[in-house]
Amino acid sequence: MNTDFSILWGDPGTLILSGLVVTVKLALCAFALAIIIGVVMGTLRWIGWRAVEPFCWVYIEFCRNTPPVVQLLFWYFSASFVLPMPVFMFLRDFGYEFGAAVIALAFYHGAFYAEVVRAGLNAVPKGQFEAARALGLGFLQSLRRVAFPQAIRVLVPPLVNETTALIKNTSLAMAIGVAEMTFQYRAIDNFMFRGIEALTVITVLYVILCLIAAWLGRLMNGYLSKHLHARNATAIADRQIVGGEIIR
Amino acid sequence: MMDNWARVWTPANWERLLVGDLFNRGEIGGLALTLCIGLLAIAGSTVIGAVVGIMRASDRKALNLPATLYVQSFRNVPLLILVFWAYFLPPVFGIQTSKFLSVLVALTLFTGAYIAEIVQGGIRSVAAANLEAARVLGLTPRQIQFWVVLPQAFFNMLPALAGRYVVSMKNTSLAFLIGLMDLTEIGKQIGARLMTSPVEVYLTILLIYFVVNRGLVMCLRLLENRQSFNRLFLRI
Repeated sequence: MNTDFSILWGDPGTLILSGLVVTVKLALCAFALAIIIGVVMGTLRWIGWRAVEPFCWVYIEFCRNTPPVVQLLFWYFSASFVLPMPVFMFLRDFGYEFGAAVIALAFYHGAFYAEVVRAGLNAVPKGQFEAARALGLGFLQSLRRVAFPQAIRVLVPPLVNETTALIKNTSLAMAIGVAEMTFQYRAIDNFMFRGIEALTVITVLYVILCLIAAWLGRLMNGYLSKHLHARNATAIADRQIVGGEIIR
Repeated sequence: MMDNWARVWTPANWERLLVGDLFNRGEIGGLALTLCIGLLAIAGSTVIGAVVGIMRASDRKALNLPATLYVQSFRNVPLLILVFWAYFLPPVFGIQTSKFLSVLVALTLFTGAYIAEIVQGGIRSVAAANLEAARVLGLTPRQIQFWVVLPQAFFNMLPALAGRYVVSMKNTSLAFLIGLMDLTEIGKQIGARLMTSPVEVYLTILLIYFVVNRGLVMCLRLLENRQSFNRLFLRI
């Protein structure tokens, strides 16, 4: 086996770097969209309105139980049938592969985020939300001021796990020809026969990306437990005292 | 609209989706191949995960360190990259490999790392009082592990395990990227041949995957609590 990593200073290196940029872009776009979908869907499922419940269930179960690659292929090949024409034309001008990858990954991971958000909200006692409503806070206000701040601390670790999964799944976008890192590795392997070197490099890059995501998550966790916790701890202490009074 | 569905749902297409070219050319494919890879990977990764998970839960450095290294390195790499490693590395050393084998190995090792985490969490979740009680009753350390810790850990980790099994069943679809004739590849071929009805073709594949995975989840849910497990297996 003869490997020669010095070739990475030439063309293959620039190809991998351009792939890295696309991977990061794809991950960020899909993450932003998926978080929005996840929060909305998760909250809707948590509230459990009869009218939207079946719709949410079908969406979450369907997206969670089908492979992301097939979803990518679906959004790529049948976009012109499914999406409204103006949206499709708009996305096509950017190169539709990227758009399809963002949509597919966002819908796929959005379903997982929704479950995470629902589990986080379930960890908050239902009485908290009901009390906020009874005290006259609006619906969105009681979500924003009462339910979410308490849920978010439980929610961060699984959220980080899901986000690393999202970063890893961006590699699947090569199936529809998005020029991200794995795609560039295939190109280098096919045209320059330097597969092993390129594969080593992109493996390391993926590990670094995942570790960065995990590190950001830990940072956020630390921040939340410092700032949210301090304030809530006094609130909880107050509540216990008040509760004690009532029982007595 | 109905036309398109009729064009996709022909007996010939369904045969290819379910068993591939098994009856024409004797090559297994389609859903049968997907299930083959998925179930073998699930079995293999459960064994690996159990061993590595127990190693991770132990306090001995010599056991803990390699297990942690394995879990951390395999969890932070995309499965697709592992598949490429398993497919392109052995030939460099002159070892013959097949597409089927490389997908299976990559999927097993990848899922094994996740299952090890689940097993470790399950073992840690058993309350310490149980161990103390077992020790007071005079059980040996091996007996404690086998009769006290592992049975409780098993039921604690079943929901997470079910989720992981579904993910590995979904991940078999990566096989088509190195050219195996699995369900996704067959569906892609049918779609490419028909050209006019991608929505119907891909919805059909998605539906097949959905039915398989929901079925798997429901089967595992039967085991989820002690009572139904005993009813099923111990006839109590």
